[in-house]
Amino acid sequence: MPDEESAPAVDPSTALTLSGPERQVLEALRAAPHVLQEESALLERTGLAADALRGSLERLRSKHLALATDDSWVERKLTRRGEEARARGLPERRFLFALRRRGGALTPDQVEAEGFSDEEQAAAIGYLRRRHYLADGVPFRWAEPRPDVDRPFPEEEALQQVATGAKEVDATIFSQLQRRGLVSTERHSVRRWLPSPEGIALPLPEAGRPLVGALGTSLLSSGEWAHVSFRPYDVRATVPYLQGARPHPYLAWLEEVEEILIGLGFEEAEGPLLETEFWNADVLNMPQEHPARSVHDMFFVNAAPGAPLPADLVERVAAVHEGRPMAGETLPVSPGWRTPYSRDRARRPVLRSQTTAVSARYLAAHPTPPFRMYCIGRNFRPDALDTRHHIEFEQCEGILGDSGVTIRHLVGVFKAFAEALGISDLKIRPSYFPFTEPSIEGYVRHPRLGWMEVFPGGMLRPEVLRPLGAEVPVAAWGIGITWLALVALGYNDIRDLYLDDRARLTGRPD
Amino acid sequence: MPQSVLSANRVLELLAQPIEREALEEQLFRSKAELTDWTEDALTIEVTPDRLDMLSEGGLALFLQGALGLKKGPAPLVEPPATLDRPAALVEASVSTLRPYLAGALLTAPAGVALDAGLFAEAIRFQEVLHATIGLDRRAASLGLYSWERLKPPIRYALEPVDGVRFHPLDGPAEVEGPKFFAEHPMAQRYGRLGRSDGECLTLRDADDQLLSLPPILNGRTAGEVRIGDRALLLESTGTRAVRVEESVGLMLLPFAARGWAVQSLRVEYPDHAESGMGWISPRRLPFSASTLQDLTGLSLPDEQVEDYLAQGRLGGTKAPDGWWVEIPPWRPDLQTSVDLTEEILVARGIAPEDAVLPASATRGRRLAEARFRRTVRRVLLGLGYVELRNTVLVPNGLATLLGRSSAIAVVNPVSDLYSRVRDSLQISLMASLERNVRYPYPQQYSDVGPVVVRDSSEPSGGKTRWHAGAVLAGERSGFADASAWVDYLLGAFGALGVREPAELPGTIPGRAACLRIAGEAVAEVGEIAPSVLSELKVPVPVAWGEVDLTALWPLVRRGETPC
Repeated sequence: MPDEESAPAVDPSTALTLSGPERQVLEALRAAPHVLQEESALLERTGLAADALRGSLERLRSKHLALATDDSWVERKLTRRGEEARARGLPERRFLFALRRRGGALTPDQVEAEGFSDEEQAAAIGYLRRRHYLADGVPFRWAEPRPDVDRPFPEEEALQQVATGAKEVDATIFSQLQRRGLVSTERHSVRRWLPSPEGIALPLPEAGRPLVGALGTSLLSSGEWAHVSFRPYDVRATVPYLQGARPHPYLAWLEEVEEILIGLGFEEAEGPLLETEFWNADVLNMPQEHPARSVHDMFFVNAAPGAPLPADLVERVAAVHEGRPMAGETLPVSPGWRTPYSRDRARRPVLRSQTTAVSARYLAAHPTPPFRMYCIGRNFRPDALDTRHHIEFEQCEGILGDSGVTIRHLVGVFKAFAEALGISDLKIRPSYFPFTEPSIEGYVRHPRLGWMEVFPGGMLRPEVLRPLGAEVPVAAWGIGITWLALVALGYNDIRDLYLDDRARLTGRPD
Repeated sequence: MPQSVLSANRVLELLAQPIEREALEEQLFRSKAELTDWTEDALTIEVTPDRLDMLSEGGLALFLQGALGLKKGPAPLVEPPATLDRPAALVEASVSTLRPYLAGALLTAPAGVALDAGLFAEAIRFQEVLHATIGLDRRAASLGLYSWERLKPPIRYALEPVDGVRFHPLDGPAEVEGPKFFAEHPMAQRYGRLGRSDGECLTLRDADDQLLSLPPILNGRTAGEVRIGDRALLLESTGTRAVRVEESVGLMLLPFAARGWAVQSLRVEYPDHAESGMGWISPRRLPFSASTLQDLTGLSLPDEQVEDYLAQGRLGGTKAPDGWWVEIPPWRPDLQTSVDLTEEILVARGIAPEDAVLPASATRGRRLAEARFRRTVRRVLLGLGYVELRNTVLVPNGLATLLGRSSAIAVVNPVSDLYSRVRDSLQISLMASLERNVRYPYPQQYSDVGPVVVRDSSEPSGGKTRWHAGAVLAGERSGFADASAWVDYLLGAFGALGVREPAELPGTIPGRAACLRIAGEAVAEVGEIAPSVLSELKVPVPVAWGEVDLTALWPLVRRGETPC
């Protein structure tokens, strides 16, 4: 059947969009407007190459000037074995003749001697017994006294019909022969073409000034371009499918966050993913028996501790944990945790569970005040995996230190950051973290999800600052960056931040 | 965060006035607690780990009285009747290696009052909260309550042979032999190891040798059982951490002190002291520096205002030359320094976005130069048509093994096999992504610029975090030359030229892999992925892989003007 799409009214200027071959092909179609023409006939009529003809026909169709109709049919054929059987006779026919030749009785040895393969024997004997030519038992004998052995089998007739291309062949017999590997089918199709009513009606102006398709280098270099007209394109035509690269959406969004922080005067810092418990927790005033330091909250690894930790710093941290004065001082920083401090535990390697470790390393390098630092880094915690929790997640962490820095400056940073993200509703409440006091939490209101806790922070405790040698007050904050990312990117599942599905990453469905 | 279900009626009874849900929510939000649910009498409260006191009805009521202005200043600790002797406990030297510390208090009901079912339930529930939190599941500290009227002081804390112990568990029908209790009782199976060592177990007995309990496992029924109607109770805590033992007793006073029970500390005698300082449970006086308050908050508050805020937090504050003396009740072990008290002031005052000020000092914001360099690398790879990935650092053990990356650090407590090794090469992540994308047509090409961790004994942690840029090209005609070409292009973008030399690399076809060196230093690896890997991952086309060690490359290409 021809295409049934309703064709839009044809604009006469469509004629200008026709390339030379397209016009040739359309003219060839219009020469016999009501005859379905095969491509072979059109090849002959236009003298075009096959590829050019096929391309032109498709383009004419996309311009609604030509219609295609596809016909298909099935051809029945003898297989190589079928040809052989037709020449030598089917095994059952040969068996029948052999029996007659041997006087109505055949021993297995004689069958063998007649040149039957095992497969042929089985096929022939089974067939002849089902048709009541052969009696049961060995040697093989006629089932009835004088069978009509010359009458052709239906299978032989069918083979003959297939060989001569007869239209009607018994379907049941054919499929039996197909199972025996004697016949096969082959599907054929042919596309025929017709001009569409629009293609017939389209006025084709007399060829005047040549219309040029491609602007080739010779046209440019010869200056010939000034004397030709360019064939207009069908700008609605389908263009080639392009598969390109794209930045990962989460990384692209994190870059925006970084720009906000840089704008607020923060400089970037980084730290290792494999940490010691010392940097990950001890130096942050987390007691060594703190529940958040168990196997339920940190990943431990099979790496052996390497080079020693900075001994002086370890001793100062140990003194603070145990509530002793640090070397050279008379008073302890605070009563501390008043539990023995294990230096072996301090050396144990863990995967970083909080980016605050980076802040501590930054402070240990004694930056010159005023300083502001940020770090967006990965952390690892053995959480159960669900839409809101992942064992790998980002924290966006920062500190600002200078004489006179207070908790109010931290609120100032939260507010400025929220405003830069386009969030105006902000609430602050007191909170608790082992390394800050006072501690606060900032909440922002999301139109769909309601109030979300995204800004924890506080003033770093003396127990953190003093061993590190920091001499100015330091405000520290973290941002629940993965939460904000889910909202900003419209994701409902935190696992999407590790998206690697090709279709979703490239925006192409296949 | 710690949470508990409290009786709303018992809180309201102490508050002596109704409170709406919204008002309660608001008050808790302004503090460090949260109302998770309120259904009839069940009030589910969540607190930060420093405010365990608010997980008892008594503690929550004390807080709300202050916050709502109903009562201010410290809750009075009632003195015991003068007729009562100071209770005493003896700690024997035998316990010193297993569980050395003991502290306690005697609780006496006000006149005309006795232990009722509500207070008993509150006490037991709060005791379990404390076991789970400050007690570190009873290891650091565990509490016990006994009827003082049915025991004869002093009590004795000792280690004795299990074989000689006969014990009637609080929840059991009859007395059992010590070994049988330790072998069969569910509480002994869970906590037995904390109270037993080499055929001996911890016991708490009175002067008549009655067995009060087997710390920290279970009370006995005969002398250890508390009954409704009791008017004097012994509260004790044993443990491995002196501070936590003492703090647990201080917190456990709350349900009783809030209802006017008198509190008297237990005099604990250790073998090496006539009397230990341990066990004295009384309010502490802490100096609170005015300058600390000002420096941390940036607020200038009049003295009276500060004292009012302290009173609102149920603390006592009297003026001192450079600040205040603050009286801290025994159930606030979180308050140790001026810094902690500063936060109390903020809780009472509240803090809001309106308090925001921006730092006056100017600082220069910037990215790390090395991070800028990595960002440029990402862009070069995007320009070459590689789709950018951001894969996890933790990778499946099976895949690391398949690729022959046996040196990758393993997680010893993984939650899933999918995240059980720390990648030491992006090759693992990139192949995982190819495996996940086999349903899409080819060619496919991906890149990842991310961290890996390789074993390195020069680092205290035993591993070094390095940044790599990796890419794979999967297609019918992908091969070694493709990977080498992009690596050459990338190095060239930074003015570097690597020399390829044959190498045997994990996961690649022998003879089709190379290492690239610049000035002798290995900076990149390239190769064709082995067909055994591809067939296992069901990737139907050849894959060319390349990976550049950006941490090694950076010092080699760093200069005044990089294309970063």
